Amino acid sequence: MPFTDHSDLFGAVHEDGINRLVRHIMRQRPSLFNYATPFFHNNAGLFCVKFEVDERVLKAKNPLFTEQEPLPILGAPVPIGLNFCLQLTDAQIDFHPGNVFGLPPELGALPAQRFALRLKGCMGIDCPSKEIIDELLPLIERFLVSQQQLAIGEIKERVPGISTHYTPPVAAVDNRERPRTIPLPTRQLICFCLELFAVGHFEWGSVPGSQQIWLKTRLDGLEIVDMQPNDMESAIECYLTTVLKLGILPRLIIPLEKMVLDVNKEFQEMGLTLGRTVTLQPSAVPADVPNNPAVEEDQLKAFMKLIITGGA
Amino acid sequence: MADLTVAVSESAFQRLFVVLRDSIRWEAQDSTSFGPFTAGYHVKGHLEGGSVDFRSDNSVLVDELDVRWDMFQFTLGLDIPEICVGGGCIDMPWPFPDICLPRWCVFSANPDVSISPDLAAFVAQELSVAGRPVVRYYDASIPPPLIDPCGLLRDLLVNASVIDPFPDHNQWHIFLNPDFIDLDLFDFADIVGNLIENALTAAVTALLPGGWVRDLILAIIGGIADFIRWLLDIPDEIDEWLSDLFNISFGLGDLLIQLVGEFFGACVPLIRVDDPLEVLAKEISTSVLLSGSPVELVAVTVPVRNLFVRVDDVEMVVQADVGG
Repeated sequence: MPFTDHSDLFGAVHEDGINRLVRHIMRQRPSLFNYATPFFHNNAGLFCVKFEVDERVLKAKNPLFTEQEPLPILGAPVPIGLNFCLQLTDAQIDFHPGNVFGLPPELGALPAQRFALRLKGCMGIDCPSKEIIDELLPLIERFLVSQQQLAIGEIKERVPGISTHYTPPVAAVDNRERPRTIPLPTRQLICFCLELFAVGHFEWGSVPGSQQIWLKTRLDGLEIVDMQPNDMESAIECYLTTVLKLGILPRLIIPLEKMVLDVNKEFQEMGLTLGRTVTLQPSAVPADVPNNPAVEEDQLKAFMKLIITGGA
Repeated sequence: MADLTVAVSESAFQRLFVVLRDSIRWEAQDSTSFGPFTAGYHVKGHLEGGSVDFRSDNSVLVDELDVRWDMFQFTLGLDIPEICVGGGCIDMPWPFPDICLPRWCVFSANPDVSISPDLAAFVAQELSVAGRPVVRYYDASIPPPLIDPCGLLRDLLVNASVIDPFPDHNQWHIFLNPDFIDLDLFDFADIVGNLIENALTAAVTALLPGGWVRDLILAIIGGIADFIRWLLDIPDEIDEWLSDLFNISFGLGDLLIQLVGEFFGACVPLIRVDDPLEVLAKEISTSVLLSGSPVELVAVTVPVRNLFVRVDDVEMVVQADVGG
């Protein structure tokens, strides 16, 4: 059957293509998917999950991760922290029918006209050894006493032999003149990974103030696998759902013309100004097609009508 | 199943063709002089008619597209050197006034003789062309052949800034390979039809006042003119039918045009797709390092595989895969 049986223009993208595209982006822009303290520049072997990097990235000496401040040790009188890494290691999409990965029982089978998303993230946090803590503890205590920063009472005794002000080393002050947190020495990290599954759908819609039609991604359900206790899981899932709905998915809306063909722009690039206005509109549901956009046969499909207005 | 599929229906293509055809207008004028001679032109034209047909043999037919001239004016001028007689004064003794003779000059204008016939009513062309999309892969690592006719043509077009030079990376190229091209330099059917229609319309408009009677007669005249056009176009229709049947242009002129068309069809791609294709442009980021120092992140590119274009009698389909 022709693709344009019930429409003027048709566009489809297969889940395999999107998943390959994501893998290319992960290899060529690793800093979008890996976040860690600068310690990892010389200790890449301590990342929770090894990741592939494209040769061009290495050749250009691009950072393999986005630098983060160490995880601060709350209450410490000086800005010290722990090295950590946060990695998005897998991202896959599965258009109906589900056959790329299985969904957790909480989300059930992938319904018709829906897509599933699987994200796997791993985090590693340094756990300081007993020796390091035993070594630092007297210094911390001495600093607190000298600074009169104890929780109970005022100390009459003056403790000598330690500086009264913490002055970070020059190298620890970045260009924005903000004192950086000093990480504790790290030998190994404790890693854990979480898998997140989401189910959603696509729809056409408008944006207030815009004349265009936009393809929007909508979230129907979200599940984090094997997290306890249940209330914590629910709270985190609720938070992530809100982040996705209000923070990430609104950034992923696509104007209809960009999906297939921006006719006016194409002609303008050819140096030709059209005497009429050529626009695209989604084909009507159910008059023209049963679903639009359609998520079926492992593809996202869009059916469009060509509207020509103005002129003779 | 392809990773990316885009399809355009024949109906959408036909409507776009009409918009495109009606948007194409051109005008050019220039003049130059060669000593006493001057020559110039002023041409203005547009496109009319024509149709697009997708065919089941993977080809597209643009049929009987008319090239119409709103102005087709050529100017030839001759500037004859000025010749003057008379003039001058005879000094007379006082108290008689000086006697000045009148001066007559001829050929004072520039040019002195000029003709500017507008041949728009007598010039019309008709173009029919059938071609099929052909996809080829350009591998930049392979050196060009020792004798490279395509390279010569491309260099000419690149030097004239008509096309961009071929890049140093690989590309997919989509060519339009013509099956046949039929260009009637003088479309007698339309020329005669237009002249008859214009003459009769002018006569009727002058004789009859506005109203339904005049409209009816004008409609009949239009029908008669169309019939004459159709009648006179029969030999050309047969010529096009034969050309289409045998996939070759008949007539020396058409054969030459087809050869040129095939040369372009084989050498100059209509569409180029980079391989790998850039999906995220390179960028200078100040948020990757804690120090805020700028870092130039390389562009993200994806390999394009299996680019494929096909046409059948209802749609044109472009498909491609994302390489691994």
